Amino acid sequence: MITIQEADFDAGQLIRQLHERSQGHAGAVASFIGYVRDYSPSQPTQELFLEHYPGMCEQELNDIEAQAAQRWNVIDSTIVHRVGALTRQQQIVFVGIASAHRGDAFHACEFIMDALKTRAPFWKRETLADGKAFWVQARESDTQRIEKWTKTDQTSDPVIKQLEDHK
Amino acid sequence: MIDILYFARVAELTGKRTEQMPLPAPVSVAQWLTQLNTTYPALKDIRVLKVAVNKKHALPDALIHDRDEVALFEPVTGG
Repeated sequence: MITIQEADFDAGQLIRQLHERSQGHAGAVASFIGYVRDYSPSQPTQELFLEHYPGMCEQELNDIEAQAAQRWNVIDSTIVHRVGALTRQQQIVFVGIASAHRGDAFHACEFIMDALKTRAPFWKRETLADGKAFWVQARESDTQRIEKWTKTDQTSDPVIKQLEDHK
Repeated sequence: MIDILYFARVAELTGKRTEQMPLPAPVSVAQWLTQLNTTYPALKDIRVLKVAVNKKHALPDALIHDRDEVALFEPVTGG
């Protein structure tokens, strides 16, 4: 389930609904929430404005969800991303994965966030407490995080494989 | 004609969110960007420009055809 909305979300409710949709097949639900944080300790963030490309966002997120489901055991998933004007400490994004086992749930959740960060067309405009405003620049570390998923197949990683086999 | 969409900082620098432009013949994304930089010199301030054609990320050698929807933006920063 993919939702792009201005309104806030109730993460507890999203997790419960995701688990209910799995109709008893899910032994694990992993979730991630991203929040508005201060730009730096000395520069509190006053507002974070999120712009997006309607249509393309949904398409990219659908594709990312499908890729995760091809790679890991995913019974169902939920992605909620907010747009518009957000203030300090507010929730921005929710990703939840229902899976038979925790390993797949953790991996799929992390992969979806890493892919979303580099592919989904959202842009953040930050306004600091002193009134200075700017468009947030993409970070090289986000690109490196998504590249790691293409370089190493998590399930063939010997340590992870061993752990999975002993579950 | 192609439909062009500008997002975030790119929209601020071009001073518009959408416009239409004639496209006499198909061009690559890279060629199109070169032309657009001439129309909007302010875009030179942007280090990395990304293009989507018909709502899909497009590489510099992808072709833009008549009636395509072409979007221009900086690397994404959601999440």
